[in-house]
Amino acid sequence: MNQKQDVLDRLRAAVVAGDETKVKEIVQEAIRENVDPLEAIEKSLIPGIREVGEKFERMELFLTNMMLSADAMKAGMSLLLPRVPKDKIPKRGTVVAGTVKGDIHEIGKNVLAALLTANGFDVHDIGCDVQASAFVRKAEEVSADIIAASALMTTTLPGQKDIVDYLKSMGKREKYVVIVGGGPTTAEWAEDIGADGYAETAVDGVKLALRKLQEKK
Amino acid sequence: MNVTKRALTGPICSERDFDQRIFAPKLAEALKQCEIKFDPDVLIPSDDGTADDLFKAAMGFYADVGTYCLDTERIIKFDEDEIKEGLRDAPSQAVFGEELDAGVLRPRQPESRELPWCFIGAGGAPVSSEEIFLSLVQAYGEINLADAVTTPELTMIDGLPIRVQTPLEIFGSIRNAILGRDALRRAGRPGLPIMNALATAASDTALIAALQPMYGLRPSDGYFVATMAELKTNYELMNKACVLTTLGARIGTLAGCVMGGYCGGPEGTALTVTAHHAHGILVNQATYHLNHPAHMKYISNSSPEMLWLISMYAQAVSRNTHLLSLNLNYTSAGSATDMALYEIAAQVITAVVSGVSIEAVGLARAVYVDHLTPIEPRFAAEVAHAAAGLKRADANEIVKALVKKYVHKIPNAPAGQRYQDCFDMRTGKPSRECVETYTRVKNELEDLGLGFKY
Repeated sequence: MNQKQDVLDRLRAAVVAGDETKVKEIVQEAIRENVDPLEAIEKSLIPGIREVGEKFERMELFLTNMMLSADAMKAGMSLLLPRVPKDKIPKRGTVVAGTVKGDIHEIGKNVLAALLTANGFDVHDIGCDVQASAFVRKAEEVSADIIAASALMTTTLPGQKDIVDYLKSMGKREKYVVIVGGGPTTAEWAEDIGADGYAETAVDGVKLALRKLQEKK
Repeated sequence: MNVTKRALTGPICSERDFDQRIFAPKLAEALKQCEIKFDPDVLIPSDDGTADDLFKAAMGFYADVGTYCLDTERIIKFDEDEIKEGLRDAPSQAVFGEELDAGVLRPRQPESRELPWCFIGAGGAPVSSEEIFLSLVQAYGEINLADAVTTPELTMIDGLPIRVQTPLEIFGSIRNAILGRDALRRAGRPGLPIMNALATAASDTALIAALQPMYGLRPSDGYFVATMAELKTNYELMNKACVLTTLGARIGTLAGCVMGGYCGGPEGTALTVTAHHAHGILVNQATYHLNHPAHMKYISNSSPEMLWLISMYAQAVSRNTHLLSLNLNYTSAGSATDMALYEIAAQVITAVVSGVSIEAVGLARAVYVDHLTPIEPRFAAEVAHAAAGLKRADANEIVKALVKKYVHKIPNAPAGQRYQDCFDMRTGKPSRECVETYTRVKNELEDLGLGFKY
């Protein structure tokens, strides 16, 4: 095995292991060895995080593993992306994900954020108990494609409608895909409030986001 | 005060570090100590030693990890001696309800003939109108085997959707209390306890508002204080515990550990649910412990892994403490389906023979509005009484046979029917189809070896 392939293999393994420190070390080594940064992203970081996502879907790995791997992958990206020529940076979908106002349940949103990252999205997790206006502000700031809003309680569901209403009132409804999820949400609810889609699970949420992103293009 | 002080002075830690650098590695260490392993052939293990090892590891884990306070970003810690003291001093029985409808919730043991406490009804599922709320709760009260009732959650108040942390939630919670008590009066059981006070009150403000005696709630009802996943609390939850404690009300700590989430697989989830009992007594000052572990993908807890972990935590807690522990079952299938009845039977038998009591039932994950009937809670209570005294090995065979009937349908389970579509709300009578399904499934259970007393 040549030295470059060895570096790429070790980098991928470090992402799968969720070892952020090791990822940073190997990326530095790759840079010293003149490995093409785009190749390191496409042959190590992305396949590594995809492998973790697939194992999570099969319940061979769990949430903590996936979040650690997502952090490790992001750390590697932050070192490699500045070295990739701007016209060659792979275009990724951008998602703003959060739990709506009044709702502090975040495990479902965390799973979605990690799985979206594993599937190549640039995810901006804005936490829980988030106002509708804050979702939109962040989407504007990062030029998002998708706003993903989670709610776990029947009494916080209206917070998802608030986001759609807020976008409409600003004349920006068509600019973003709005997807909703969480315990009490249903396809009927998503349709009623004028959202673009609903997902029952985080895995379905990723499929929905990929489909909607494709349609948006 | 002691808990608040610890929340203000405990070790500082970010939430992410708590999840990833403390909770996850300490859980892995604890699992190595007890070496439990999910076995799809043995959903209800009979090995006492394994349950005891799990309990020991879980208490050590809680001493290492503690409870994270989201508002102060600090860890509320207790040492092993304090945990032992808490377990020793926790209530070993509690009276719920008033007058003729009062009852005593007692701890149980695996394979015990002691009848389980049947806390039955809606499991907090949503309903669309006060008319349906009243009709359902009255019907729950009329179930003879009901020791306590779990009311639905109102979603509308005077035509407006209820929103958390708003006056609508306060009005809705007060209405929930008034209607719940009124429905039980109509059922002729005015003293029956409502043990999920209060389904509509997610916020501390709404609960405190609805506690005014004029609305009908009493200290002898049961009041939920939830825990955030996993082993987390905040000021709102601590405020609830504070007010309830000063009123002398009975607190039930809610733990909905997610399998596939921070707990990892069935083994880590069994250990985390067990550890939540220490959190319940020490942080929430709980009288009783209500556990509703959830599958990451399906939310329900009827899959083989979920049944196994329910059995494991129930045996660990019931063999090693006198805590008053109950399991709340969530089905994948909805009301008026045979699949929901198979799931309920498997879940209830597992919990009861493993040494805990029951809350039943959150149908179809308690997601769909009005998708609930009184038949399923009645059935759950009948199964619970029939399962008391069964040997774990015999129960394991019955449960495995039941699981075979529905496990393949879990990913696409039927949502079932709405209450108003399968019951006559004027007379409270179910449709013929509902009765036939209920009777057929009970007959199938008898064929599998479950001897119904009712």
